[in-house]
Amino acid sequence: MRAARGRRRGAERRPRFAIAVTAVFFALLYVPIGVVVLFSFNSQKSLTVFDDVSLRWYGVFLRDDVLLNSLGMSLRVSLVAMAGSVVLGVALALGLVRGRNRLGSFAGLVMLVPLITPEIVTGVAAMLLFKGLGIALSTTTVMLAEITFSISYVTVILRSRVAALNPEIEEAAMDLGATRRQAVRLVTLPALLPSILASAVLVFALVFDDFVLAYFTTGVDPQPLSVRIYSAIRFGVQPTINAVGTLMLAGSVALIALALAIPRLFGRRGGLDLLSGK
Amino acid sequence: MADAVRTSRTVRKPAQERLWTWLMLPGTLWMTVFLVASLILVATLAFGTTDPLGNPRFGFVLDNITALADPAYRTVLLRSLGYALVTCAVCLLIAYPVAYAIATSGGRHKNLLIAAIVVPFFANYLVRMYGWSVVLSDDGPLLGALRAIGLADGGTRILQTGAGVVAGLVYGFVVFMIIPLYAAMERMDTSLIEAGRDLYAGPLRTFLFVTVPATRQGAAAGCVLVLLPAMGDFVSAQLMGGPDQIMIGNLIQDKFFQGQNWPLGSALTMLLMAVLFLGMLGYLRRTRKDEAEAVR
Repeated sequence: MRAARGRRRGAERRPRFAIAVTAVFFALLYVPIGVVVLFSFNSQKSLTVFDDVSLRWYGVFLRDDVLLNSLGMSLRVSLVAMAGSVVLGVALALGLVRGRNRLGSFAGLVMLVPLITPEIVTGVAAMLLFKGLGIALSTTTVMLAEITFSISYVTVILRSRVAALNPEIEEAAMDLGATRRQAVRLVTLPALLPSILASAVLVFALVFDDFVLAYFTTGVDPQPLSVRIYSAIRFGVQPTINAVGTLMLAGSVALIALALAIPRLFGRRGGLDLLSGK
Repeated sequence: MADAVRTSRTVRKPAQERLWTWLMLPGTLWMTVFLVASLILVATLAFGTTDPLGNPRFGFVLDNITALADPAYRTVLLRSLGYALVTCAVCLLIAYPVAYAIATSGGRHKNLLIAAIVVPFFANYLVRMYGWSVVLSDDGPLLGALRAIGLADGGTRILQTGAGVVAGLVYGFVVFMIIPLYAAMERMDTSLIEAGRDLYAGPLRTFLFVTVPATRQGAAAGCVLVLLPAMGDFVSAQLMGGPDQIMIGNLIQDKFFQGQNWPLGSALTMLLMAVLFLGMLGYLRRTRKDEAEAVR
């Protein structure tokens, strides 16, 4: 009996049960997305019977001014949030790693708050702040809230990159006559460029898809695309949503691929530790 | 020459420090105004009132706090906790085999497989939930398949039940469990598994007594990452559950949008934060203990 098991050990190394669970998991992970993509090409309104391949719902989307305005707004918000959070986040990451003082320990703590707070809380808080300051909710308030939320992401990603950089390259530049500021601008920032670009693309994708913060900080018109999708879903089956969802999915996948590819384009590996769970 | 460099650098020292402070300042100020101040505002408004027109007024009354003792709110809070904990447990049950299979048998496709799990997470949350609700619907493919193999009858439903809400939460956040668990398994010393095997432990015993203890920090991190968003979520209960399945997130949303009772909404928000804070405290104490043991 034991000998038999000993002989079988090689086969046992493949955890068949775990592999079976994983296969089922992947199926369940992709079936909902597949359903959305498939039925976006349905010629009929049904979500259960696939009739014929057609681009009908894409046409409906392209003629829907409300949805197109929302798309435009989401794109503007994502661009502004990306620019704002990258500028603030990169500076913060540099300061946090290199300068160690009391402001740094406070900043390090504050930066972690969005990551350990449910989005509904930050959403409610941002909404109350704008109302308290007498600022009407609008595209601008969504941008401000999304920048706040994204600074943390940029800082977390860039912080580990800055920490991995050898400070001696800055010292070397300074020994060659550069001021500290020139050393940062001419040596450190170029070295960080792949990570900065990758985190920028990531922030763009996250902000574009964000729902909760946008929901709490948006005005009436225009509303971000995800907020429009939310109201459409609540009022029942809307085949146009399948088309919009498919386009958003394609956009997100393209952006994530870009974010992962950027470090390689620069001939370096490990610009974004997205996959190692760090 | 060397001396000149050294002196010029010591002269530069305070200026260097100033640069780092200047770099930190804008981001810190931004976060202080838009995050810290706004959170303090929520905490303050929890003690406020509403005037007859429904506008929030700051004050110092405990009405909203005492209102939380209402059994109706307690039921919703306990339900939210229950759903979040069940979600966490289901995520663990899924994530352990998936992370294990990929870490041990993924070969050179490991990164590709993990990417295949992460990518759907970047699809719009609402679109994913919507697709999931179509799959779980009464005449959807999942129940159809279950009926075909006799595991469900005509009356079986998933949507509009608590199971539907949990299914939504699991689909939304399971990736947060898989990634830290996978990272922990990648760090794990695989010779431990072989040692277990050499001592004639079966696969199940090796898993329970070797793999699980070695990866418990990853599991604990995953639990925190799943519990946080699951407790605050209001989309899943809305799309997958019925009126009987609302969670604390739905209550908060309702107080701010339909009920127009912002002080009470703020009090509920603080209650949610308090529950999560207690959970985080437990997690931190646990990891501290683990780290202390690891050092010893």
